[in-house]
Amino acid sequence: MSFIDNVFSSLRPELSGDAENRARERALDGAIRFPLLSLIKSSSVWLVIATIFGLIASIKLHSPGFFADCPILTYGKVEPLFWNTLVYGWLFNAGLACAIFILTRLGGRSGAPTTFLTISIVLWNTGVMLGVIGIMAGEQLPYAWLEFPSFVGPVLFIAFVGIGLSCLLTFHARVYRSSYVSQWWILAALFSFAWIYTAAQVMLVCLPAQGAIQALINSWYVENVFGLFVAPTAFATILYLIPKTLGSHVIGYKYSAYAFWSWILFSSFAGVSDLSFGPIPVWVSSLGVVASFGLLLPTTTLSIQFLSSLFRKFSVIWSSATARFLLAGSVIFLILMYYKIFGSLRGSLATTQFSQFDSGVDLLALLGFAGMVFTGGIHFILPRLFNKELPSSTIVDLQFWLQLLGVMLVSIGLISGGVLHGELINESIANSIAVVTALKSGFFLTTLGMFFFFLSSVCGVVTYFTILLSNRVEAEQSVDLINEAPELEYTAP
Amino acid sequence: MNRGPFIFLGVLIILVFSWTTVILKPNQEVGQLLAILDDDQGGRLPRELQGAAQHGKEIYQELGCIACHTQQVRVAAGTDIERGWGNRQSVARDYIDQDRVLLGRKRLGPDLSNVGERRPDVAWHLLHLYNPQINSRGSNMPAYSFLFDTREIVGSPSSRAMELPEAFSPPEGFEVIPTRKAESLAAYMLSLKVDYDLNEAPKSPETMADELAIALENAE
Repeated sequence: MSFIDNVFSSLRPELSGDAENRARERALDGAIRFPLLSLIKSSSVWLVIATIFGLIASIKLHSPGFFADCPILTYGKVEPLFWNTLVYGWLFNAGLACAIFILTRLGGRSGAPTTFLTISIVLWNTGVMLGVIGIMAGEQLPYAWLEFPSFVGPVLFIAFVGIGLSCLLTFHARVYRSSYVSQWWILAALFSFAWIYTAAQVMLVCLPAQGAIQALINSWYVENVFGLFVAPTAFATILYLIPKTLGSHVIGYKYSAYAFWSWILFSSFAGVSDLSFGPIPVWVSSLGVVASFGLLLPTTTLSIQFLSSLFRKFSVIWSSATARFLLAGSVIFLILMYYKIFGSLRGSLATTQFSQFDSGVDLLALLGFAGMVFTGGIHFILPRLFNKELPSSTIVDLQFWLQLLGVMLVSIGLISGGVLHGELINESIANSIAVVTALKSGFFLTTLGMFFFFLSSVCGVVTYFTILLSNRVEAEQSVDLINEAPELEYTAP
Repeated sequence: MNRGPFIFLGVLIILVFSWTTVILKPNQEVGQLLAILDDDQGGRLPRELQGAAQHGKEIYQELGCIACHTQQVRVAAGTDIERGWGNRQSVARDYIDQDRVLLGRKRLGPDLSNVGERRPDVAWHLLHLYNPQINSRGSNMPAYSFLFDTREIVGSPSSRAMELPEAFSPPEGFEVIPTRKAESLAAYMLSLKVDYDLNEAPKSPETMADELAIALENAE
């Protein structure tokens, strides 16, 4: 029965040592341990499921006979299943885990009603599961990232409001009255998602707007899920973890407010540029292009903050797994924004519209940037919650390199492949069969990258379950195992 | 920035601003369009889906065909007109009957907004759905053979049985019958054509040149 003993000791560690030291953190961790673990567990499992769907989808592109007889796994179902499990399964769970941890630690007190929060989390994951079953059963809606059948919308909304309220209560109950930039980003993300999800559900699902307007709402929603929820939570995580892992202030912290407001403003307008040349008024997509260029301002500020802080303590990056994930995430962020901003130009769209390019950029954003950052965050949170070391640094290293390799292969496959795809479909009159034949090597590359993603997600699950189930060694019975970095958040740099 | 309400208000104002500009304003401009009655062009425009085609649209949505096929023609960019995928720009009024719009975001396969005009033969579509390799060799579209029943021939063969080439035919004594889903989907494909003109839809330069030539001839 040692497994059960181990789980029990993981969930309710009895530690010896100096009680004063880390007493505050231990109380905080104890208060949020259970909901956080359910978020992290769900996120890791959803990531495995998502990468399996992604792998099936990308195999189907070069070998259409793969699972062709299976009506629940047509390409048209697996592809939305991949994106939806990736966004609502992996990124939301992982992002909210980081968000709750950061709000609790920075506020110094947990105001979240644990049972209520856990129920909301279970409800959220039930909603995602219902959505997956619904898509397989053929109830999908034709809107990107909103393919879940219409009855799932209210479930996800109620669950999100439950989780969001718990976060707000935690923020409200904070002991330190001043606030750190991570808290702004998280609050903004919570408010925005509740609002854009309501707007999209009402105008697309309940009372659908007229035909072409639906496409507009859909594009607005997709871009805002990244720009106003996923990216802000990832920024919050980076900005919190930089002082914690490197032991020094964020460089250029005083510019945070500019970056914050300009990001929220421009990214809420940026998404609609991809509808250029379509059946909507031209000025709307032009507005999207202008807003995308506005994103240069916060992108530069944030990148300078992230990269100069990280490069100043470059030696730490080799020894800290979390810092390595942050560095990779920050570099990918810069590359991704280059593609997003310059890809929104009409000239680029004339080439890349309707090609695989968009999927490549989205994957770079979701798995490359946010995925890397949240994985780093989870590797930071888990040892603190359990008061145990990460079980194996080899697995963590393996996960890092596999994920990085996956990002590289998939982005070459989809972004370079997408440019070729776009040139063939938009600038030549090659027939569709010639196009897919020319793209075959890109499809194979994507499959290989997806396979690496799958392996790295398995590493994540292995890490989670081994740290939960492992025996507590002697060093881990002491509160001195983890040295918390000094509180740098509220002191001026 | 120490207070939640300040951030809440700021974000709310920005989002309301974005929503009004990006969604509400276009919705006022092109979101309340009505169908047009034009007897010269055969009645109501855009044309309504008839009979099985309506069911076919649901199948199209259920199987996720939208993942690879768009239904929109562009004139200002791309080579849609040269490919014969359409003869004018798609405009908002073309979509007013679609309660779930199937505009599409990706073209791993061809655009389908005029496929009924390009491929007017229902048998072609059924063969293509049964196995795309029959009439589009090399395509990476999966075979939707689960939309067809392979059954033993009892008595004389059915009149609805598919005529399949040697390499794709079922074993001796069996026949392949399209299910209702396959037939509806094929009916939907045939119904997809934008064969009418709208005042707001700018015609392609080629069409306009042709019309001008005809008008000039008539004038002479």
